Amino acid sequence: MPPVIDVQRLVKRYGEITALGGVSFQVEPGEIFGILGPNGAGKTTLVEILEGLTRPTEGAATVLGIPVVEHPDAVKERIGVQLQASSYHQYLTLYEILELFGSFYQRRADPMELLRRVHLEDRAGARIKHLSGGMRQRFSIMAALVNEPEVVFFDEPTAGLDPDARRDLWEIVRAVRDSGATVVLTTHYMEEAEVLCDRVAFLNAGSLVALDTPPRLVRSLHAPYHVTLTTSGPIDARRIEQIDGVADVTQRAVADGTVTELRSGDTPRVAAALTALASETGVALLDLAIQPATLEDVFLSLTGRGLSGS
Amino acid sequence: MKTLLSASLKMLIRDHQAIFWAFMFPMLFLGVFRLFSFDSYGTTNLIVAGETADVRSTALVDALGDVEFLDVTVRDDLPTVADVEAALADEDGLDAALFLTESAGPTLQAELIMAINDPIGSSVTVAAIRAVVDGVSAALTDAPRAIEVFTRSVDADEASFFEFLGPGIIGMGLMSFATISLAGSLSRYREEGVLRRIRATPLAPSRFFVAVVVAHLVIAAGQVLLLALVAEALGANVLRGGIGFLLICIVGTVIFLNLGVIIAGRVQGRGAVEGAANAITLPMMFLSGTFFPTSGMPAFIQPVVQALPLTHMLNALRGVTIRGETFVEQWPSLLILAAWVVGTLIVARFAFSFRDA
Ligand SMILES: Nc1ncnc2c1ncn2[C@@H]1O[C@H](COP(=O)(O)OP(=O)(O)OP(=O)(O)O)[C@@H](O)[C@H]1O
Ligand SMILES: [Mg+2]
Repeated sequence: MPPVIDVQRLVKRYGEITALGGVSFQVEPGEIFGILGPNGAGKTTLVEILEGLTRPTEGAATVLGIPVVEHPDAVKERIGVQLQASSYHQYLTLYEILELFGSFYQRRADPMELLRRVHLEDRAGARIKHLSGGMRQRFSIMAALVNEPEVVFFDEPTAGLDPDARRDLWEIVRAVRDSGATVVLTTHYMEEAEVLCDRVAFLNAGSLVALDTPPRLVRSLHAPYHVTLTTSGPIDARRIEQIDGVADVTQRAVADGTVTELRSGDTPRVAAALTALASETGVALLDLAIQPATLEDVFLSLTGRGLSGS
Repeated sequence: MKTLLSASLKMLIRDHQAIFWAFMFPMLFLGVFRLFSFDSYGTTNLIVAGETADVRSTALVDALGDVEFLDVTVRDDLPTVADVEAALADEDGLDAALFLTESAGPTLQAELIMAINDPIGSSVTVAAIRAVVDGVSAALTDAPRAIEVFTRSVDADEASFFEFLGPGIIGMGLMSFATISLAGSLSRYREEGVLRRIRATPLAPSRFFVAVVVAHLVIAAGQVLLLALVAEALGANVLRGGIGFLLICIVGTVIFLNLGVIIAGRVQGRGAVEGAANAITLPMMFLSGTFFPTSGMPAFIQPVVQALPLTHMLNALRGVTIRGETFVEQWPSLLILAAWVVGTLIVARFAFSFRDA
C-alpha cells in the first residue's frame, strides 16, 4: 500500500527563524504516528503544513496521494483536524457546532453518535464554556471526526490533562484508529508516545533526529537499561565502570547504605558481575532493580537534552 | 449554506451585546426622548402682525406674553396676511401667527393662523390664545366683542421633534449595531481560533464571511422593522418613507458593516476592536444630526459633518419622511453614500484577511 502521508524535504522559515529544516518521512495506513519534540521543535508547523493551513517555504507533501500545497481543499475534505490552539463558537451548543462543521463536508457523521463516542451525549445542549478541560479536549478530538476522515491530525490532544483524563483520551484515539483511520499526533509526553504510538518521529529544532517504533528506538540505545543497586556499604565506582557495557555510574549514600545507579546494555551479565563485585567487596546486596530505558533517554542521547527542554 | 446561515444567526441572537446595540440602545433613546416630550412641553412661537400699534393690540401682546408656553414676537415687517403666511411657511420655528385688522366699528379682527400639525397641541394652543383674547377684550371695554378671533390652520412646514428624531434613532441604531457587532464578532472569531479552525475545513472562507454578514443584515432588517413600528407609535411618522426608507437603510447598513470589517481587520485584540468601534460610532452619532439638526453645529466642524456617511443617510431618511420627497430626490445624499459604499468595500477587502487567522 502506498503511504498515507509522504513528506519530502519540508522547510518552513519565518524570517530568521527556521521552524522546519528539511524534514522527510512517510506515514503508513492505519498507524498511530507520533511526532515527539520539545516546545518550539516545529511539531505544530509540520502538522499544519500537512493540514493545508500553512504553506511550506520549500519541499512537498502529499496526503492520501494529494499534493497539499496545490490542492489543500481536496485534502481538507478527507482529513480531520484538531488544532493545538483553537476553540469553538461560544454561543453554540455542542450539537450545533457538530452540525455546523458537518455541513462543511460532503460526508458527515451523526452528531449524537459522535458525542456518544466520547461520552458527551448528555452534554449535547451545553456550551463549550460549561465543559471541564478534559471534556473540552474530548470534544475537540471528536469534532475532528465530523467528516469520517481517513487521516486525523491531533496536535497535543492531551496537553494539560491529568493522568486519568489522558488515559481516557488514549482510549479514544485508539478507537479512532481501530475504526480505520490513520492518526498523526504530536506530543511532548514521552510515555504517551511510548504506549500509544506505533511509530514515533523525534523532532528537535526543526530536524527529524530519529524515526522508528518505540521499542526499537529504545533498543537502539547503546545502554538501554537503568540499573539501580542498593548495598549496605559503598562499592568502588571505578571498578563498576570497568564492567563491560556499563555507563553513567552515579553513587549516593542513603540511610541504610549506598545507592548506585548506572545504565547498561547486556543486563544478565552486568547483574552477575555486580553481584560478584558486592560479595568481593564484603557488602550485602540489598536490592537490584533493572528498568528498561525510556524514549526520554533516547531523546537525551540523540540531542543532549530532555524533552522538557532542560 | 443553510446550516451555516442559521448558525450565524443563532450566534448573533445569543450574543447579548449585539442585541443590546441592535435594539436596547436605540430604544433607550426613543424612550428617553419620549419622556422629555419636547413637543407638548415646548414653547409655541407666536408672531403678531398687522395693526399692532392699537392700544387693544398692545394690551393683547402684553397679556399673551404672560402665558408661559408662548413666545410672542411682534413683526411689523409683515404688513399683509400673505406676508404672514409666507413667513410661517419659510421661516424655521414659527408655530402660529395672530394677524390684527381694524374693521368697521369698534371691533379689532384677529386672525389666528395655526401652523402646528399635532392636532392636540394645536387645539390646546388655540384654546389658550382664545382665553387670553377674551380676557383682554372684556377688560378693555365692558362690551364683549372688542376683539374678534377667527382661527384657521395652514400646513406646518416644521416637523414635530419626534418626526425628526425617528429616522435619526433608526439610522443611529443601524450604525451602532452593524459596526460594533460585526467588528466584535469577527475579532472574537479570530481570537478564539474559530476562523483558523474553519480554515482547516473545506469551507471557503468567503462563504463563512458572507454568512456572518448576511446574519447581520437579517438582524438589521428586524431592527428597522421594530424601531420603525415603535417610532411610528410614538408619533414619528416614519412609515410614510415606504420602500425608499428601507433602501436607504440598507445602503447605510452596508457602509457600517464595511466599517466593522475594517476595524476588525486593522485593530488587534478584541477589547481594542470594541473600543475602536465605539470610538468611531459615538462621535458620528453626535456629529451627524441624530438628535438635533446639523445646521446648529459650528461652522468649523461642518466639513467633518458633511463628510460623514451617517449625516447623509439621516438626511435622505428625513427627505423621504418629514420632507415628503421621493427616494430619487435624495440623489445628492445617495451619491455620497454610494461613494462610501465603494470606498469602504475596497478598504475592507484589503484590511481583513483570513490568512492572519
Ligand atoms: N507564525 C509564526 N511566525 C513566526 N514564527 C513562528 C510562527 N509559528 C511558529 N513559529 C516559530 O517556529 C518554531 C516552531 O514552532 P511550532 O509551533 O511549530 O513548535 P511546536 O513544536 O509545535 O511547539 P509546542 O510544543 O510549544 O507546541 C518556533 O520557534 C516558533 O516560534
Ligand atoms: Mg505546537
